[in-house]
Amino acid sequence: MDFFVDSLLSAILLLGSLDPELLEIIGVSLKVSSTSTLIASLVGIPAGFLITFRAFRGKALLITVLNTLLALPTVVIGLFVYAFISRRGIFGHLDLLYTQEAMIIGQVILIIPIVTTFTISAVSRIDERYRETALTLGANALQTAWIVFREARFGLVAAVIMAFGRVIAEVGISMMLGGNAKGFTRNMTTAMALEYDKGEFILSVALGIVLLTVSFGMNIIFHYFQGKTRV
Amino acid sequence: MLYELRHLKKVYNHRTVLDIEDLILEEGQVTGLLGPNGAGKTTLLKILTFILSPTSGKIRFKGKRVDFAGGNLIDLRRKLVLVQQQPILFTSTVANNVAFPLRIRKIEKTERERLVEELLELVGMLSFRDAMAHRLSGGETQRVAIARALACFPEVILMDEPTASVDVENQIVIERIIGEINQKRDISVIFTTHNMIQASRLAEKTVFLFEGRVARSTYENIFSGFIKEDEKGDKVCMLQGGMELHVKNGKPGPVRISIDPERIKVGQREGDLSPRNAFTGRLIQLTDENSRVRALVDVGIMLSVLISKERLEDLDIRVGMKVGVRCPEQSIEVF
Repeated sequence: MDFFVDSLLSAILLLGSLDPELLEIIGVSLKVSSTSTLIASLVGIPAGFLITFRAFRGKALLITVLNTLLALPTVVIGLFVYAFISRRGIFGHLDLLYTQEAMIIGQVILIIPIVTTFTISAVSRIDERYRETALTLGANALQTAWIVFREARFGLVAAVIMAFGRVIAEVGISMMLGGNAKGFTRNMTTAMALEYDKGEFILSVALGIVLLTVSFGMNIIFHYFQGKTRV
Repeated sequence: MLYELRHLKKVYNHRTVLDIEDLILEEGQVTGLLGPNGAGKTTLLKILTFILSPTSGKIRFKGKRVDFAGGNLIDLRRKLVLVQQQPILFTSTVANNVAFPLRIRKIEKTERERLVEELLELVGMLSFRDAMAHRLSGGETQRVAIARALACFPEVILMDEPTASVDVENQIVIERIIGEINQKRDISVIFTTHNMIQASRLAEKTVFLFEGRVARSTYENIFSGFIKEDEKGDKVCMLQGGMELHVKNGKPGPVRISIDPERIKVGQREGDLSPRNAFTGRLIQLTDENSRVRALVDVGIMLSVLISKERLEDLDIRVGMKVGVRCPEQSIEVF
């Protein structure tokens, strides 16, 4: 128990001292995860809208596949992307392996199904009359989608926050595609895994605190939106 | 001519919900679509708004054929607007809701604000301008929805049961608004209702829908019965309560009939009338209806009869008295 308390206290001191290495690690995490969440949202939200409002063959199958992909293990994505970007892969010449870009690619694949399925469920819960009303008031397809988007914003914010929470906390993709290179691709989760392996708990615990704080912050933002959009 | 419908059908899962041979709705009028629940009123209204396409048949709007498959519907839709039975306001302020149609029509801000104010004033909701729309009552919501619909500058405004889900006070206000937008703004109004009195009060023309079909001139006195042929080969329709009516057409078997209230004859006694389809009953109610009077006579079934004021004076009948009524065969429609 003393050991844990000591680690915790040292971790807080480390955070207080704004250790440059620690800040760099946090920076990588935030940058990579924010970018992948942004890309996944730009793809997943419109995809969710299209899947909800368009009738096409194989729609039910596509939704089932997306739901299945929600349970995709990060190491499987890591392996899959590795196969494409490693030296022997078809994109090997792009030298993507062990870069932040590689981490982003993997993370985007991880959360596109999350953003898309949560968008589908948020949008399809919106009363059909919003769409009909917008149409009868003379709105075109895009303006109608905007109305539905506005009404569904609470659910959509939840989808994006879920996705961000998933990528900031994942370790498999970051480790396999980023390689935990100090100063380049070392992020909070890979650093924690490494420090744990080394038996150095202080940095691990400090990073754990930061990770939880980020999650906490996301939840506060989430509740802020909830308060704003709930009737 | 505003709308011209021909051989219009709408089929849902093999069930025909709308089957209209021929229907013309005039421009500049207030038209009531009257009928019981499930008569196809809302379906017809959605087709008239071009947000639902008919399964078959033709529609002309202001003389032009409407092509549901083509992409020109958005221009057509912008000429008319539907106010739904329980309208949905967007989760925003009342003013923003009314401004939405103006915004998508790219009307600049000062003009937009002026119009929002004018329209909210018209429906008596100006003091709610900055209120959140989802906090309004049913009647207030309906009024804001009408203001928002007017912001589309429509040539036609269609309303689905505009007063069905509001209290009496709002009902009066909404009926006043309907009259005002038709007369002052020269907008054609088409509304559905299941309230016969409301239809006759507001509408210049009433179309009666029953089981998806337009019933010709009548919109009252609907009964279910059973047609038999008697020994002379005459067709007799047996109604509930043991009443028998001679009818001209209709196949033997279960049917519904409607009796045109304008064609029912009223006399002081049954003997004053020729014996076929004549009954004695008690006069239950007399209602003033513009140039005419509606009499409700209980002859075992409730018959609604329209008579002229002169005829009423000649008859000298009062509520509670016994009167004779006769339903000529031409007054009965079998369907």
